[in-house]
Amino acid sequence: MNKLLRQYWPFTVAGVQSTLMYSVNILFFSLSEVLYCFVMFYLWQAVFAASGGDSFMGFDMNDMVVYLFMSNATAYLTASAADEMIADEIKDGSISMRLLKPVNFTASILSMDLAGPMVMFFVVFLPMTAGVEIYRGVQCGCVMFDPLHFSLYLVSALIAYLLSFYQNMCFGFLAFYVTNLWGMGILKKILLKFLSGAVIPLAFMPPVLREVLRLLPFSSLSYTPVMLYMGKLSLQESLISFGLQAFWLVAFILFCRLIWKCAIRRLSVQGG
Amino acid sequence: MIEVEHLRKEFKRIIKDPGLSGSIKALFHPKYEIIPAVEDISFQVPAGEVLGFIGPNGAGKSTVIKMLTGILTPTSGTCTINGKNPTADRKKYVKEIGVVFGQRTQLWWDLPLRETYGVLKEIYEVPEERYRERMTMLNEVLEMDSFMASPVRTLSLGQRMRADIAASLLHSPKVLFLDEPTIGLDVVVKNNIRKAIQQINRTEQTTVILTTHDISDIELLCSRIVMVDKGKKVYDGSLETLKNKYGTMRELSFLPEEAQPFSSEAFLKALPLSAADYTFSEENGRMHLRFNSEKMPVKDLLSFTLSHCSAKDIAIREADVEEIIRRLYREGVQPDE
Ligand SMILES: Nc1ncnc2c1ncn2[C@@H]1O[C@H](COP(=O)(O)OP(=O)(O)OP(=O)(O)O)[C@@H](O)[C@H]1O
Ligand SMILES: [Mg+2]
Repeated sequence: MNKLLRQYWPFTVAGVQSTLMYSVNILFFSLSEVLYCFVMFYLWQAVFAASGGDSFMGFDMNDMVVYLFMSNATAYLTASAADEMIADEIKDGSISMRLLKPVNFTASILSMDLAGPMVMFFVVFLPMTAGVEIYRGVQCGCVMFDPLHFSLYLVSALIAYLLSFYQNMCFGFLAFYVTNLWGMGILKKILLKFLSGAVIPLAFMPPVLREVLRLLPFSSLSYTPVMLYMGKLSLQESLISFGLQAFWLVAFILFCRLIWKCAIRRLSVQGG
Repeated sequence: MIEVEHLRKEFKRIIKDPGLSGSIKALFHPKYEIIPAVEDISFQVPAGEVLGFIGPNGAGKSTVIKMLTGILTPTSGTCTINGKNPTADRKKYVKEIGVVFGQRTQLWWDLPLRETYGVLKEIYEVPEERYRERMTMLNEVLEMDSFMASPVRTLSLGQRMRADIAASLLHSPKVLFLDEPTIGLDVVVKNNIRKAIQQINRTEQTTVILTTHDISDIELLCSRIVMVDKGKKVYDGSLETLKNKYGTMRELSFLPEEAQPFSSEAFLKALPLSAADYTFSEENGRMHLRFNSEKMPVKDLLSFTLSHCSAKDIAIREADVEEIIRRLYREGVQPDE
C-alpha cells in the first residue's frame, strides 16, 4: 500500500498542479454554474407557482433548491477528465511517456484524474454545501444538516466518481479509434446531464422512464448521492441504490479492462 | 539479445479530396490507403553491442524503435528482447529497458528535475543506496548540477536531453533505445552524451540501439550499423566494410588561375562522368568536385582538369563516412551480399 502510494502519488501531485494552474478559469466557471443554478431556481419557482401547490412529487421549493445546488456540487466532485486526458495524450503522442513506465495505465490516469475532485472538494464543494445548509437552516429556523446523511452522501459520491472515471476511460479509449472526440464528448456530456437527473430530478419523470433511468448507470452518478444527502431514500431504497452503484462500478471496471486489451493494439503513437 | 524477425508495420491513412466537400465525402465514404512504414525487417543484436540504426528521413527508424519498446504493435512479425515480447507484458518489460526519444521528453513537465528522479526511483523501485551512487555517477558524466533544481519545462534542449538520458539510465536497464539522442545539440553536450553511452555500455554491458543523422555518433559509438530505407533493410554490417565497399568517392578542389576565364558549365560538359557520379559546387571562387573514383580514376580526372584549365592549389580528399552515407541514401545499396 505504502509502495503504491509512493509510486502513484507523483501523478496526483502533477494533476493537482495542472488543475491549480487553471484556478482562475475554475473560479469563473463555477460562478457561471452558480448563476445557472439561480436561473433554474426561478424556473422551478415559476413551475411550482403554476402548479398551484406547495409541493410536487414530494419536493417542496426548499427541496428543489437543495437538489439543484447539491446536484451541481456533486457534478464537481464526480467530474472526471480521463477521456480528455487520453485523447490529448494520443493526439500529441505523450501517451508514450505513460506507457514506457512500469506503472498500470489505468491506475496512473486515475491517480492524476483524482486531483480534480480533490481540489474541487475544497474550492467548490465545501463553500456550496455550506451555502445550501445556511439557506435551508434560515428557511426553517433550525439545523437541517444531518451527519449520517452527509456521510452516506460522501460514500455514494466517491462511488459515483469512480463510476464516472471508468465510464470516461471507456469513452476515452474511443480515441484509439477516432482521432477527434470533441464533438462526441459534448454530446455525451449533455446526454449524461439529463440522464443522471442533474437537470430534472428523476422523481419528476414519467414512471416508466424513471424506473428505466434508475436502473441505468447514469442515476448512480448524481441522483443517488443527492437523494441520500436529502434523506429522501428509505433504508431499503438506500441499500438498493448502493447495490446498483456497486454493480455498475464493477461492470464498468471489467468493461474498461476488456476495451483496453483491444484498444492498445490499435494505438499509434504519433510523432518522431 | 534482441531478435527482430520479419517485422512489418502498416499505417492506415484516410485519403481526402481537398477542400470542405472532400472532408465531408471522407466522413461518409472514408477511403483508406495503406502505408507500409516498415516492411519485413529482420536483424539480431547480441548483448553488449552498440548498434547504429540509420536511414534517411521517413525510412521507418522511429517506427521500429516504437515497436521494440512496446508502444506500437507490429502488423506482423515478431521482436523478442531478452526473451520477452514487448507488448505481451508491458509493465515487466519496460522495467528492463531505457528509452529516450530525442524529439520528446519522457519527464514530467512541471516537476523540478531533482524531484523527477525521486519519482522515477519509486516507480522503478531503485534501492536508496544504489540510487545515490547512480545519481552521482550520472551527474558527473552528464554535468547536470547547474539545473538540478529547475522544472523540466524551463530546461534548454541540451539540458533536457541530458536529463532524459540520465532518467533512462537510472534503473540500470539491460537495453537502451535512443531515438536521435543528439538531435540539435552543441558539440560539448553531444560529447557528454556520447561519453555517458560509452561508459554505460563498457561498464555494464548494456545493449544499445541508437538512431541518428549525425555520422560522428556512428563513428564514435557503433560497432555495427543497420541501414533502412523506405521500410526495408538495405545494409547490415560493420562501418569498416561499408567504408571499404563504398568509400570510392573523392573530392577534388582547385582554384582556377585568374588570368584565364573559367566556365564551370563548359568544364562539366566536357567531364566524361555521368551526373550520378559527381557533384559540383563553387565556394569563394574555389571549385569542389566530388566524384566516384571507380568510374574515373583520380589520375585521369587530374589530367583532365589540368588539360581543361590551368588550376592552382589543387587538393584531393578522401570521402568521409558522411559522404558514403549520403551517396547510399541517394542511390540505395545494391543488395549483392
Ligand atoms: N501514425 C502514423 N500514421 C501514418 N503514417 C505514419 C505514422 N507514423 C509514421 N508514419 C509514416 O511511416 C514512415 C516512417 O516514419 P518514421 O517516423 O519511422 O521515420 P524515421 O525513419 O524515424 O524518420 P526520421 O529520420 O525523419 O525521424 C513515414 O513515411 C511516416 O509518414
Ligand atoms: Mg524518427
